Amino acid sequence: MKKIVSLFSVLIMFVSIHCGGNVSDDKTVLVSVPNDPTVSFRVWFKVGSQNDPPGKEGLANITASMLTDAATKQNSYEQILDKLYPLAASYSASTSVEMTVITGRTHKDNLKEYFPLYTQAILEPAFKQNDLDRIKSQVSNYLENVLRYASDEELGKAVLYNEIFAGTPYGHIDAGLIESVKSINLDDVRSFYQEHYTKDNFVVGVGGGFEDALVRQLKDQLAVLPAGKTNKVLPPAPKSINGMEVVIVEKDAAATALSMGFPIDILRGSKEWYALAIANSWLGEHRNSSSHLYQVIREERGLNYGDYSYIENFPNGGRRNMPPQNVSRRQQIFEIWIRPVPNDARHFALRAALREFKALVENGMTQENFDLTRHFLKKYVLHYAPTTMERLGYALDDRFYNIDGSHLGKFRKMMDEITLADVNAAIKKHWQYGNMKIVIITNEAAKMKDALVNNTPSPINYTSPKPDNILAEDKEIISFPLDIKQESVKIVPVAELFMK
Amino acid sequence: MAGSIFPYEYKQEILPNGLKVIMIPMDSPGLVAYYSVVRTGSRDEVEKGKSGFAHFFEHMMFRGTKKYPGPVYDSIMTTMGANRNAYTTDDLTAYHLNFAKEDLEKVVELESDRFQNLSYPESAFQTEAGAVYGEYRKGITQPFWVLNEKMQNLAYDVHTYKHTTIGFEEDIKAMPQAFEYSKSFFKRFYRPENVVIVVAGDIDPSATIELVKRYYGGWEKGYVAPKISPEPAQKKERIGNVSYSGKTLPIIDIAYKGDALDPENMDYVAALLLGDLAFGENSDLYKKLYIQEQKVQFIAASTPMNRDVPLFEIYSMVKNENDIDYIRDEVYKTLEMFKTTPTDATKLENLKRRNKYSFLMGLDTPDNVAGGLARLVAVTGGIEIVDKLYGQMEKVTPENIMSAAKKYFVPERRTVVVLKGVQK
Repeated sequence: MKKIVSLFSVLIMFVSIHCGGNVSDDKTVLVSVPNDPTVSFRVWFKVGSQNDPPGKEGLANITASMLTDAATKQNSYEQILDKLYPLAASYSASTSVEMTVITGRTHKDNLKEYFPLYTQAILEPAFKQNDLDRIKSQVSNYLENVLRYASDEELGKAVLYNEIFAGTPYGHIDAGLIESVKSINLDDVRSFYQEHYTKDNFVVGVGGGFEDALVRQLKDQLAVLPAGKTNKVLPPAPKSINGMEVVIVEKDAAATALSMGFPIDILRGSKEWYALAIANSWLGEHRNSSSHLYQVIREERGLNYGDYSYIENFPNGGRRNMPPQNVSRRQQIFEIWIRPVPNDARHFALRAALREFKALVENGMTQENFDLTRHFLKKYVLHYAPTTMERLGYALDDRFYNIDGSHLGKFRKMMDEITLADVNAAIKKHWQYGNMKIVIITNEAAKMKDALVNNTPSPINYTSPKPDNILAEDKEIISFPLDIKQESVKIVPVAELFMK
Repeated sequence: MAGSIFPYEYKQEILPNGLKVIMIPMDSPGLVAYYSVVRTGSRDEVEKGKSGFAHFFEHMMFRGTKKYPGPVYDSIMTTMGANRNAYTTDDLTAYHLNFAKEDLEKVVELESDRFQNLSYPESAFQTEAGAVYGEYRKGITQPFWVLNEKMQNLAYDVHTYKHTTIGFEEDIKAMPQAFEYSKSFFKRFYRPENVVIVVAGDIDPSATIELVKRYYGGWEKGYVAPKISPEPAQKKERIGNVSYSGKTLPIIDIAYKGDALDPENMDYVAALLLGDLAFGENSDLYKKLYIQEQKVQFIAASTPMNRDVPLFEIYSMVKNENDIDYIRDEVYKTLEMFKTTPTDATKLENLKRRNKYSFLMGLDTPDNVAGGLARLVAVTGGIEIVDKLYGQMEKVTPENIMSAAKKYFVPERRTVVVLKGVQK
């Protein structure tokens, strides 16, 4: 009979591989999968939007795009597209607040043709004006049009992060600010590249069916980058939140998107984090009907499409089912995401979400929910990284967080070790109900503000009959007090967001 | 399999009740992907006022049975740590799960149970209608959503491709009243001869088929094919405009009535390549408009694989409203050139190579293998189409490309819609 190998042991195996071998060191992360017919690359530069100079917000993101979506000294951008085309291979850059990763993947058959294109993108960018114009136009369109008008869900989260981290290096989204992006020129890009893309500032990640020689070749080539340490940015110190601080973004919206949260001082790797992850999963596992908020707001009441919560940054939640990689950061927030609800149910939905969160903070988890959730997570995390590229991403994040072993391996192990008491202690220590930023994307902002500060009851009308227990609970939700002060509510027209 | 592009050996079996099962063992330690592909989508919504119902019904499939009511089903799935979801498109509805191999039998039991014995009260049905409307509200903020609604409505007169998969808004609003209809929907379409199960990953095919036989064997036949009115041939060009309530750069969508997926139809197979050759990211027009002149945010083409006549579309987001006509004319000029000038042989070979590697690189997880096959399986009823289609694509010549351009990209097959934002 075939030996049964669980995916867990496979994860462990990866860890042992990337720690051993003569090509490994503290600047190399390897995920060897010998029978994978493809090779995955992730070269991580320790730079992100936190390094954007004031007035040049968006420069880290644009510089990274000038490597991967633009000409090199050897090839025009058109020539690069021509050469990559038959390979069905590509490379791209992702910039988050602390990490920039140049990602690429090719079939082994095409490695010889692909590899020089990938390394030239990192090492020999041409920095041409017409490429910069095109990339700036893309970013400006995203900020001015897409984010403000076509994606209220991402808009709500972007405003939440900007509000919580205002005045810190985390205080603007990765795409930057509209006026700053306009001001970015080739000199800015060149000097940012020279300062941050140095041989002291990267970690090489290679995964799949590669040979050691390939890793050596990649590292030798990257060694030509100039020396230079980036000025270290201190972790952000977000201002304390006093009570419920509300930002209403006013726009002609047919439905209301809600995001809310506060900073938390805990990062993956510690036992407490995994304890808090159990509570968070029960409250709001992303895109999963096991989420309690989902059950209360969507499943029982049909008010929207989904309701989730997070203890780590989770960009583009509408487009992905599983957590992203390489958006690691030293300061996380707790976040609740309520997908668009009808405008006339906005106050009710906000109350329903906060009421559930308050109950969890005050009462902790029950034994039954705790057991269900830890069993769930123990297997569910297997789906976090099914591909080599994703495992490589996690392995880099392990390096970011200095995790001994692997986060996913530890996650599973902790599900057997953590007790209900651990979870409830973590909730008490890291979550609180009273001080929170709330972002509401909606129309008729003044009316919403009035209702909030006056604690106006928010009755709810359903199109279908509801069981008695739901109706009884609704009575409590309708008048659930939120304690929002007049001076703690700010109304911002959407057209004024992300300007400068 | 010699001469096959598909790199995995697979086994296929059809149960006496017509249920087809495709099993693809692959190297994926401990992990299994399980797709139930229902060959019904918004295409099958023939009754007036019932657009969007296939998608709505997909939601109802999570509401449980008498044996495993919704909360019990949810709780078992939660304990399994299964990653599960579903989606609906024009031609299919797919229910998919990823889970650990030791849970296979439980998954087969639960899936077979809900496909045979779905049961929900009217109140749950009505509540779910609210969630579907929420999904509509979430989507309608996107310009492309608005554009597609307009394009499909304008391009089709009688065929059900006239509405998008989520349906007309007025039909979504009326969904709570359609409880009885929903039961007939289940009876007509959720039948074994209309479903294909695709299981990929760490599986033993003979043990898997035994499980499927045990749990699905009693499922009764009874599929009633909907009477879908064929779309009459379009006689002349159609032109429309649509407003988007927010702020956006204008988008132009140029669509041509194509042909249904048919690997024997060399014009169709050539059209699959033509879209890429003419508008893909190393095409002359892409380089001109996007990289050199920088007049567009993007330009792309789509040549879909459908059971009935789809739209072959070229769409572009234009930076300056005054350039819309210019972009449109450049697209027309490009298509005219493809009618008269044979495609460079190297370019054609490069595209064939690209398609091969793109396919192979996409087959990296059980979910990607099973999920990647779902549409082809739904449209054709089997997996044989993969080798057939890639084999035919290999044979496409520059003459085939010219012939496809002449056949499809003519004014009388064309519908053009321009979307503009209301806010400046």
